[in-house]
Amino acid sequence: MKLYQMVVKDVIRRKKRVLYASLGVVIGVTTIVAVLTIALAAEANIYGQIEKYGANLMVMPAISDIDIGLGGLSLGTLAIGENYISEDKLPEIRRITDGKIREALGIEDEGNIATIAPKLYMNTKVNGTSVIVVGVDPQEEHKLKTWWRVSEGRYLEGPDKALVGATAAELLELNVGDTITLNGREITITGILEETGSNEDYQVFVPIETAQKAFNKEGLVSSIDVRALCSACPTADIASSINENIPGVRAVAVKQIAETEMGMMEKISKFLLALAGITLAVGCFGVVNTMMTSVHERIKDIGIMKAVGASRNQIIKIFLYEAIIIGVAGGFFGYVAGTLLAYIVGPLVFKGVAVTYVPQYFLPSLVLATFIAVIATVYPAFRASKIKVADSFRSL
Amino acid sequence: MLEIKNISKIYGEGPAKVVALNNVSLRVNEGDFIAIMGPSGSGKSTLLNIIGGLDYPSRGEVILDGERIDNLGENDFVDIRRGEIAYVFQEYHLLSSLTALENVMLPLTFCGAEKGEEQALEILRRVGLAGRAEHKPSQLSGGEQQRVAIARALVNSPSLILADEPTGNMDQKMGREILDLFHQLNKDGRSIIMVTHAPEIAKQAKEIIVLQDGQIVDKISQQGGEQ
Ligand SMILES: Nc1ncnc2c1ncn2[C@@H]1O[C@H](COP(=O)(O)OP(=O)(O)OP(=O)(O)O)[C@@H](O)[C@H]1O
Ligand SMILES: [Mg+2]
Repeated sequence: MKLYQMVVKDVIRRKKRVLYASLGVVIGVTTIVAVLTIALAAEANIYGQIEKYGANLMVMPAISDIDIGLGGLSLGTLAIGENYISEDKLPEIRRITDGKIREALGIEDEGNIATIAPKLYMNTKVNGTSVIVVGVDPQEEHKLKTWWRVSEGRYLEGPDKALVGATAAELLELNVGDTITLNGREITITGILEETGSNEDYQVFVPIETAQKAFNKEGLVSSIDVRALCSACPTADIASSINENIPGVRAVAVKQIAETEMGMMEKISKFLLALAGITLAVGCFGVVNTMMTSVHERIKDIGIMKAVGASRNQIIKIFLYEAIIIGVAGGFFGYVAGTLLAYIVGPLVFKGVAVTYVPQYFLPSLVLATFIAVIATVYPAFRASKIKVADSFRSL
Repeated sequence: MLEIKNISKIYGEGPAKVVALNNVSLRVNEGDFIAIMGPSGSGKSTLLNIIGGLDYPSRGEVILDGERIDNLGENDFVDIRRGEIAYVFQEYHLLSSLTALENVMLPLTFCGAEKGEEQALEILRRVGLAGRAEHKPSQLSGGEQQRVAIARALVNSPSLILADEPTGNMDQKMGREILDLFHQLNKDGRSIIMVTHAPEIAKQAKEIIVLQDGQIVDKISQQGGEQ
């Protein structure tokens, strides 16, 4: 019989005791995996929402809002400057944006990289009801609004056609094929959007040229959404470069806006990570505690083994093997239990968060559990193996 | 082969102080068969522990084959325990999660032997427990556990066997068989020190040492012992 064979047999026979000893490992790993899995899902949720903003960058006319106030008393704001951006600034914006992205990613591709979607907002009456008509570049807008789904009809595809938001269609009782007049211009409804949950639901989308002609705003746009399709894109850098080089416009990185709005979620995520850290510490402590107890309970056995010829190395090896078995088993069950726990608790903590299991946590769970189990076992076993045999018999 | 010189063992301090051994000296030669007798608490187990290096004496020297072993660290005893000295504990001290056979194989496992099952089974047969090889200590009677403990002590062919009341929990017939086994081992050249309460068992040793209050009060030599 080899030493490891003896340990394996022993562990199998002392199932209950070993299971009890591994309970600390299981609980520790379970909590850590659960908290981290939930935190990751919540974080994914936050970034998902930021993504939903579509654009990374918004370019607006350089209007300065000047607060008119007397002392602490605000009397409202006064807009100064132009209300529109000239269309011929678009190529310049594209040049700057694509240039910065190329620089950041180190690519030399000649084609267009960023999505640049100009918009012309007009407040008008349709069938006697006030609505916002948005002139868009159909192709660029389609790339930007990845979440748009057309529920009826088709997406925008030609002049004098309109795509209507879900709520607007309902309020104005519009169907595919109906015609509306915008400032005297006849427009055919060719599509209705599914509900998006944002103010797009209340808007009517037409090709930008149609809007410009209808409202006599040829060559003008209200704002430009810029989307750089990469997470490493230097949006803040692009924004400041646009602000420096193109007069009359103001570019803002949306991420900054979004992040402040998501501040709360971010705080919660940070809190969760802190919680995971604390759990880790507490979990480790629990593991160390149970493992040390289980070694302590076996001091007499250590004495017996030494009395029949075990060296200190062999004693330590016995506990090392056992700790590895406990660590791997505890890590495995802890990962499974933690993931299940995340599935149950995650949606209770964050409404609408879709928890998914994280396979990348599996190996670290095993490694961490084994590492802690080994440390927590081998050290007390090492100390216990120093005790004189007669003293170890007396210890219980 | 083994000599103890002026050994004292004191447990505790102050009012809880117990002098378990008081200036005890003893020589054990190759082929000796010594019985230690004495009332309960007279220090018999303590003496055996110190002879075998399981416990440190408070004073005095233990010399094995010309070298002091009373001041050795735990690791230095490994070789002594793997063949020189073996113990049979008064409380058996078997590992409860292992079977009788595995308990007997334990010393071989620690010596690095890959097998040893046949060897262990043979010894179990000699103590009359071949049929109990797969039983756990909790499934064995006191006498049976004692015999497993004896088998475990013998499996490594030690040159000195220290046995603390090895027949204490056995009926007369079984006790006699174990004693015959000890005689056999003694004839093969192994030295035996055995603690016992029973005079009829002590009579079979070559020498009887009587302990009282931690001191040797009598040494009786019995040529060859009674058979
Ligand atoms: N760990 C200890 N701490 C304090 N006193 C002890 C300890 N071990 C033994 N003693 C004391 O030392 C004395 C000798 O004990 P020992 O076990 O050697 O007696 P013994 O002769 O083997 O007795 P028995 O026949 O009952 O086994 C006893 O008075 C006992 O109370
Ligand atoms: Mg005793």
